[in-house]
Amino acid sequence: MHSSLGPAINRRALLVGGTAVAASALFPRIARATAAVPKAIELTAAPGRASLVGSPYPRTNVWCYGDRIPGPEIRLRQDEPVRLAVRNNLPEDTTVHWHGIRLPNAMDGVPGLTQPPIKPGESFTYEFTPPDAGTFWYHPHADSLQQLGRGLAGALIIEEPEPVPVDRDVVWVLSDWRLRSDAQIAPGFGSGMEAAMSGRVGNTVTVNGGVSEEEPVRAGERIRLRLVNASLARIMALRFEGHRPIVVATDGQPCDPHEPDNGRLLLAPAMRVDLILDMQGEPGRRYRVVDDFYDELSYWLTQLAYNDEPPLRAHPLDGPLRLPRNPVPEPDLTTAERHELRLQGGMMSGGGMMGRGGMMGMGSEASWAINGHSMTGDGHVGVPPLFTLRRGRSCVLSMRNETAWWHPMHLHGHSFRVLSRNGAAVPHRQWADTVLVRPKQTVKIAFVADNPGDWMLHCHVTDHQASGMMTMLRVA
Amino acid sequence: MNRRTFCLGTALTTLVLPLPVFAEPIKATLYKNPQCSCCEGYAAYLRQNGFDVEVKPTNDLAEISQNAGVPAKYQGCHTMFVGGYVVDGHVPADVVRKLLSERPQIAGITLPGMPTGSPGMTGPKTQKFVIYVVTKEGKAPTIYASV
Repeated sequence: MHSSLGPAINRRALLVGGTAVAASALFPRIARATAAVPKAIELTAAPGRASLVGSPYPRTNVWCYGDRIPGPEIRLRQDEPVRLAVRNNLPEDTTVHWHGIRLPNAMDGVPGLTQPPIKPGESFTYEFTPPDAGTFWYHPHADSLQQLGRGLAGALIIEEPEPVPVDRDVVWVLSDWRLRSDAQIAPGFGSGMEAAMSGRVGNTVTVNGGVSEEEPVRAGERIRLRLVNASLARIMALRFEGHRPIVVATDGQPCDPHEPDNGRLLLAPAMRVDLILDMQGEPGRRYRVVDDFYDELSYWLTQLAYNDEPPLRAHPLDGPLRLPRNPVPEPDLTTAERHELRLQGGMMSGGGMMGRGGMMGMGSEASWAINGHSMTGDGHVGVPPLFTLRRGRSCVLSMRNETAWWHPMHLHGHSFRVLSRNGAAVPHRQWADTVLVRPKQTVKIAFVADNPGDWMLHCHVTDHQASGMMTMLRVA
Repeated sequence: MNRRTFCLGTALTTLVLPLPVFAEPIKATLYKNPQCSCCEGYAAYLRQNGFDVEVKPTNDLAEISQNAGVPAKYQGCHTMFVGGYVVDGHVPADVVRKLLSERPQIAGITLPGMPTGSPGMTGPKTQKFVIYVVTKEGKAPTIYASV
C-alpha cells in the first residue's frame, strides 16, 4: 500500500483517471464496479497559509491539503474505484479518514488500528470503491485536535450515476477557528477545562475557507446545498431567513424529504446535510443564514445574496426531491443483537468532574468514558473491543448520554438508521454515521454489521474523543 | 466591517473597574461557557452576597482566562473580573472580599476545577478549597487561601 508518487507520475495518473471516467460512462453500473483502472488522485498534507478573514488581516498559518482551505473538493462517482495517494509533509505523523464511506477496514485511516501512521515525508495510498452516493468528507485521524483544528479537512462528494435535477450543486464546508487578533490560530489545543466542557469552540466561522459576507444566488433557481460541519467542536443550528430548505439526505444517506423542525437545522461536528433550496426570494435582496445554537451567541454565517436578474422560472420546480437510495442493508430489528453505550463524564455530570477526583488536575487524564472505559488520544493499540458482532448480524445500539453535554457520536465503516430519541421514533427514515445525542438523551440506532474489521466509535467533539469518549467495535 | 473582526469573540475590554467605596453592590463581570449552568449558580450566590454580577456567555473562555494570567492547569470553569482582579472558578465570596480589601499586587486568584460543595456547585464539601494566586508575571501559583 505504501508508495511515493513523484510529480512526474502525477500528470499521467490524472490522465489515466480521466480516461477511466470517460470509459465508465459507457458501461452499465455493474461493469463500473469492476472497472480495472481506478481514478488516481494525489493529496499532500502540509503547512500553508490561507486568507481566512481577508483584508486587512494577514494570512493565517494553517495545515492543509493541496495548499488550500478547505482541502480540494474530491468528486468521485458511485461505484468508481479510486486510488488516493496521500503524502505527509507535516512535521508529525498523520492519516486520512474518509468519513462516512463504507470502505475496507484497512483504508479507514485510524493509526495503529487500521494502518501504521504516515510518517513525515512518507506516503500512503488509499484504495476503495465508494458504494454510496452522497456528501462525505475527509480529515486526519491522528493528533486530531491539532490537525483538524489547524485546517486539515475537505469535502468528498460521491455523485449519483444519474445527476439530480437541480440548477446548481453547491458545497459549503463550514469550519470554526479560534483566531487571535493577528488572525493566527490560538495555541492551547487540548485544554483540560475545555475538554470536560464543550470542547474547543472557536471565534471565527468560515464558509469554504473564508469569512463569508454573502453567497450569490439567483431568484427561481433550485440549489442542492451540501453542508459539511468540519469544526472541532462547534455545533450549529442554522436558519435560512425567508427560505424553506428541504432536507434530502443526512450524512450522505438519502432520507424522506422534509423541513427541519422549526426551520432550524442542527449540524454538529462531522455531520453533513444535503438541502434542496428553492430560491424564492426577491431579486436584489439579501437573506441571512443565522446560527443561533449557543445561547446569546447568535451570529450570521453568511447571506444569500440575490442578483438583480429576473427569476429563472416563474414557479418552483416540481421535479422529484427524493434522492435515489444507496445500497445500505436494512437492519432486522427482530433478530438484532442489542447493546447499550453509556456516555459518561465531563463537568456538571453529578457533582464534580468524572475521573479528576472531583476537582484538581486539569491535566491529561480522561474526562469522559464509554461504559466506564476511557480510550484517549489517537486510541490504544491492543485494547479489546467493547464487543464483537458476527458479520452480517443486525445490531441495535442504545446510546445513553448521562452527561450534561452534547455528543455527536460517529461510527466508522457503517451507516446506521436513527431509530428513536428517548423512545420517540425518529421520522423521515434518517440514516447517519454521526448522530447528535443531547444531554441526558437516549438515542437508538441500528445497522447491519456487514463490514469486517475493528471500527472506532467516538464522539466527534474532538476534545471529547481525545479525552476518553471513544471505543472500538469488532465485526468478525 | 466589524463582522470580519472576529464577530464571534467577546470584545476583550480591559476590565479595570474602580472598587466601590461605599456599601454598594460590588460590580463584577463573569464570563462563562454558554452551556454551563453551574456558573449561573455561582453568579446567583454572589448576588446574594452583595455583588452585582453581569454574566456574559462566551466560547472564548480559555483565551480570556489565559490572557488574564490563569495557567491552563489552574483554570476554573468560568472567569470573573472584579475590582481590577481576575477571579477564576467557584471562589467563595469571603475570599473575594478578602482580596478586594487587601488589594495585593497580584493578577487575581483561582479555584481550579469545579469542587463539589463549592458555591454554585451541588454536592457536599469533601475537602478544603485551595485557592491559588494568579500572578502577573506567570510565576508558579502559590496558595492564597485554603477554606
